[in-house]
Amino acid sequence: MNRSTLTGAITVVVVFMLWWLLTSGTGLINPLRFPSPEGFASALGRIWSDGYAGGTLMEHIWQSLRLVLIGFLTAVVVGMPLGFLMGYDRRIEAFVNPIFLLLRPIPPLAWIPLAIVWFGLNDASKVFVIFVSAFVPSVINTYTGVRNVRKTLIEAARVHGATEARVISEVYLPDSAPMIFTGLRLSLQASWTTLVAAELVGAFLGLGRALQTAYRDVNTSMILVTMVAIAIAGAITTILLGHVEKRVIRWRATT
Amino acid sequence: MSEIVIDNITKIFGEGGAKPFTAIKDVDFHVKDREFISVVGPSGCGKTTLMRMVAGLETVSRGEIRVAGKPVKGPGPDRAVVFQQFALFPWKTVRENIVFGMRSKGASKAERDKAVHHYLTLMKMEGTEDKYPHQLSGGMQQRVAIARSYATDPGVLLMDEPFGALDAQTRTIMQEELVRVSKDNPRTVMFITHSVEEAVYLADRVVVMGRNPGHIREVIDVAQTRQAEKWSEEPIDDVMEKSSFTHLRGQVWRLLREQMGDDM
Ligand SMILES: Nc1ncnc2c1ncn2[C@@H]1O[C@H](COP(=O)(O)OP(=O)(O)OP(=O)(O)O)[C@@H](O)[C@H]1O
Ligand SMILES: [Mg+2]
Repeated sequence: MNRSTLTGAITVVVVFMLWWLLTSGTGLINPLRFPSPEGFASALGRIWSDGYAGGTLMEHIWQSLRLVLIGFLTAVVVGMPLGFLMGYDRRIEAFVNPIFLLLRPIPPLAWIPLAIVWFGLNDASKVFVIFVSAFVPSVINTYTGVRNVRKTLIEAARVHGATEARVISEVYLPDSAPMIFTGLRLSLQASWTTLVAAELVGAFLGLGRALQTAYRDVNTSMILVTMVAIAIAGAITTILLGHVEKRVIRWRATT
Repeated sequence: MSEIVIDNITKIFGEGGAKPFTAIKDVDFHVKDREFISVVGPSGCGKTTLMRMVAGLETVSRGEIRVAGKPVKGPGPDRAVVFQQFALFPWKTVRENIVFGMRSKGASKAERDKAVHHYLTLMKMEGTEDKYPHQLSGGMQQRVAIARSYATDPGVLLMDEPFGALDAQTRTIMQEELVRVSKDNPRTVMFITHSVEEAVYLADRVVVMGRNPGHIREVIDVAQTRQAEKWSEEPIDDVMEKSSFTHLRGQVWRLLREQMGDDM
């Protein structure tokens, strides 16, 4: 175990003890405002096995995760190539950029009402809003990354006889990869934010729906359980993305 | 046969725009097959521009450049460039960098392995094939960049101040290496440098350029003296002390100094 994991573990233990002391231990904090560890555990047990707000914890997580992945991946699959073309070809940039400058200032959440009108209160409207929020960072960062590919490296490839296909796959893509991944991380974060907001507005299943129900029931234990679940689900996807990044940008792992 | 014919070219940047700038005017020069040409001249006289036009990275405004009889239309593996900033691919290992140009020419795996071994041995860099550029010193990076261009086996090698960033010692080693490699495997070389010593030591002919706008001031023959005095058989330090060397060096210096005088 290295030093930073050790420090991390100690911090967790200390925070946990403080939490117990302030709630169950001394009763300084009213459980109606903030749950005790015992309250948290029993709420977790309840949503895990009996279910809460229309589903068990795993069902909520799976529902949310599914929507995030669909929305995020669609945004990436469409956004990355578009961003690439904008950075690669001046004409495409000149054509697409103005549209982008118009749409960009609209906060993704402002699309929710329109999405509900278009698709109804279902998965499709949520996926659409996630798509919108994840799309912008994917495009912008890929575009910026490709735009800033080092000219000397492109020239070095060309004077050593590389075809345009090789220049793209062996220079443009690797040189813009760090920036593209920054965009993907931002997209992923935006996806989770948007999903929870969309589910708060109206959903039959999902972590946002569980959070909304817990709020109506003034069940602080359950509120905390769902918040932690959202954090963990978000962290897992971020870690997965980090692994993909490490595999793709291998030359940097050695730095 | 890889001669370079620079046929009366002029380069005007921003031609047709509000502020056209004539960087090179009426430059006419022939580099013979397998000849080593050094280009010296004051900063801004258009050395890099001239080389980039031969490489096909820059268009010419008037005139024509032909390499091996064919007009230059764009970059190609027949004219490899060693850039001043090395321009190695950071995401490729030493091995992958060296074989980059060979792959353009469809070299087999066996040929590529052989070349990597050959150049790393030649440049005293054995055991570095799987390292990334950022794990190498500046001098080593420069050697890999040179190996990448040599391995492409171009008829023409274009080098823009390739040793500019190196310390004096590494620079000397690289100069001697270049002489040795060029002797084993002669190419047509255009070598830009700010160092008069380097220009005279390496070249068959030294092209001295002037500016406002860039033109060729004079061409000085070195090959005859080198052969007569057997320069390539002695270490660089000894060569530089010979009177035949200092004489030529003084000649180039005077031409350059006159250039500076033009400005005053
Ligand atoms: N893309 C460009 N657009 C406009 N002017 C340019 C461009 N590239 C070079 N120039 C100008 O052309 C002239 C020659 O530049 P060049 O880089 O060829 O000089 P150089 O001889 O290589 O100088 P140095 O020894 O400093 O490297 C300079 O005045 C420079 O400002
Ligand atoms: Mg230059």
